[in-house]
Amino acid sequence: MAVSVRSWVANEGGKHLVLMLWLGANTWLFLRTYLLYSTGQQYHYLYKMLGLGLCISRASASVLNLNCCLVLLPMCRSLLTFIRGTHTVSSRKTRRLLDKSKSFHVACGVAICLFSAVHVSAHLVNVVNFSLSYSDDFPALNLARYRGEVRLPNVSNHDHPVRSASVLFPGVTGVLLVLILLLMFISSSYCIRVSNYEIFWYTHNLFIVFYTILMVHMVGGALKYQTNLKAHPPGCLRTNQSNSKLQDEDLVQAEDDDIRCREDAHFEPHYPQTWLWVSGPLCLYCVERLYRYIRSSDPVTIVTAIRHPCNVVELRMLKKDFKARPGQYIVLNCPGVSSFENHPFTLTKCPTANKETFGIHLRVVGDWTDRFTQLLLPPPRADMEILPMVQQRRYPKVFVDGPFGGPSEDVFNYDVSLCVAGGIGVTPFACVLQALLDGWRGFRLQRLYFVWVCKEIQSFYWFAELLCALHKKLWQENRPDYFNLKLYVSCTESLQRMSEERYRPLSSRLLVGRPKWKMILDEIGKSNKKRVGVFCCGPKSISKTLHRLCNSTRSSGTVFEFNKESFS
Amino acid sequence: MGKIEWAMWANEQALASGLILLAGGIVGVAGQFRGWEFAAYAVAAGVFVCLLEYPRSKRAKGTSVERSGQYCFTVCVKAFGPLTRNYYVRAFLHAAICVPGGFMLATVLGCVCLGIASLIYLAAAIRGEHWEPILPRKDVRKPVAESIKNPPQNPPPRPPPETRRKQAKDLEGAAYDNPSSVTDD
Repeated sequence: MAVSVRSWVANEGGKHLVLMLWLGANTWLFLRTYLLYSTGQQYHYLYKMLGLGLCISRASASVLNLNCCLVLLPMCRSLLTFIRGTHTVSSRKTRRLLDKSKSFHVACGVAICLFSAVHVSAHLVNVVNFSLSYSDDFPALNLARYRGEVRLPNVSNHDHPVRSASVLFPGVTGVLLVLILLLMFISSSYCIRVSNYEIFWYTHNLFIVFYTILMVHMVGGALKYQTNLKAHPPGCLRTNQSNSKLQDEDLVQAEDDDIRCREDAHFEPHYPQTWLWVSGPLCLYCVERLYRYIRSSDPVTIVTAIRHPCNVVELRMLKKDFKARPGQYIVLNCPGVSSFENHPFTLTKCPTANKETFGIHLRVVGDWTDRFTQLLLPPPRADMEILPMVQQRRYPKVFVDGPFGGPSEDVFNYDVSLCVAGGIGVTPFACVLQALLDGWRGFRLQRLYFVWVCKEIQSFYWFAELLCALHKKLWQENRPDYFNLKLYVSCTESLQRMSEERYRPLSSRLLVGRPKWKMILDEIGKSNKKRVGVFCCGPKSISKTLHRLCNSTRSSGTVFEFNKESFS
Repeated sequence: MGKIEWAMWANEQALASGLILLAGGIVGVAGQFRGWEFAAYAVAAGVFVCLLEYPRSKRAKGTSVERSGQYCFTVCVKAFGPLTRNYYVRAFLHAAICVPGGFMLATVLGCVCLGIASLIYLAAAIRGEHWEPILPRKDVRKPVAESIKNPPQNPPPRPPPETRRKQAKDLEGAAYDNPSSVTDD
């Protein structure tokens, strides 16, 4: 399948532009600092002592400053949700870029690890060079205590075998920083995030220790710059020494030139500059966390909990001043199950002016959801009376953080949208359909194609009522082409059917087997010549196939813009 | 926090520490720093730790994803039996291995990381976890049902001779009669 340039630019162009800008900024900063240290007058003597190691270590340090500043920004979720919501400020292109904020965070994190390795190696080389080129002319500049402290084996030393240079404050803080960075990096690998998310979360919260140590890392620094450049132009010491061998006439001549040293060189260590870069984003992130904590501090009232087939529980809740848009998600915390675990769930019903309850559908997979469901819907005890009695349902206390924005908010901003859901991935679109049911005329959306693939036919009962109600309403209001539904049951082994009369619209649109995506996209492309927004929330295989198809040429010339929502 | 599998995290940490120890050891030997013997030891220790930690253990609950090409390592590690199965042994082994790395700057980072991995392994051992090899599952074929071996001896029952003759003459009457109509009448 040939990749179409137009489709590729529409889908991937923005992301790659941001990537190029970021790489460009890093490269520019690296080169600028490198040139400063290799050609700057105030570093002349230091450069002569240390050479390449000085330039590379300082250049990588400035790149580290930039990335430590940028890495926090994509994680300010409330801020990003706000930007996403303000349509006057952000265009659809910007909102699509916001979907990739986690990838940007990972890219900055990887850059930090990489350049830390470069920085540490360059400083190790510096330590060696400090001892090899021990300067007798400028004793203040030295870090080693004597020549050959580090390498030459025949210089005996009664001190502790650990080299004393590293006992300096930047050395100790440097080792601590790299240690914390390694802990954070190793526990953020994919398999640990998938299996034990809490380990990842708690080690990642060590970032605050990391940033505190980072800001004081340069105190008592070993690298010094020369302060009195005018009085002592670099390179003039040699002129002074060689002058003593010259004849008197030459001496007189030399005095007229401006290359005399009037005083000795003074050296000063740098003040820490990292705080200039880092304190802004750090304060922003801390304020955001505080805001989220305060916002989630009053508990929600659980209105009802309903059990659905295929291990799904619907939860309806009520909270004061809770506003949400379709496609957003919330984070749930239940102290009765676990005080520290927070789990994200997409909203399946947003609060409206008429009805203020909001709801989620959660699938029971894993121990937290299992325990939570047991607290919500306790299994009936064997010794309960047979007669139905009004139970005093005592629901557990639940805290809700959010709502946070997701890619599916943009379904209404295309003329034609295709929503592809796999299994429980239907939840963001359920909210969209609910919003359409409440009033479909106010949006830019003119046509919605909805493809839902499930393993078992029982799963369709989660939203069967909603789908049928929307279908009926649009038929009655004479817009039957607005909503196009296709249901697929991917498990072909047992014969399954929906026999209820009231679910006729669904059973007549039910197909057995996996959908053929190319044919679906071709059909949509032929009927709609506009830009189609494709929203996918499901397993990786579906989203990969769809992404590839969206990037390739379509015979109809329609451009499909791919948006993915992922649950991990 | 009840169901965390500490062993998985310890495994990742130990593998990374092995690599860092190896890198630090190479730097120490190549630069001929003072105390380079510790660096040479770190190279050997790093390689050993990497080989020991490369095969992932099978998870107690959930799907286990194995690292690419880990089957031969799994077989080697499994051959040591209880020595590699038990996480107490691994914890103390890593604690012992990491100590000489602390005597040289180039290897001190690997030493500390391996020490942390050893502590996490200790936590895993206290929680009762142990190492399980991920072996390829042999598909058990369903045994062939007995009925397939004994085909029926007699043909299916046929209607009596009168009806058979009637069917041969009257094709119209013998055709299948659709009980429900296709169109609504």
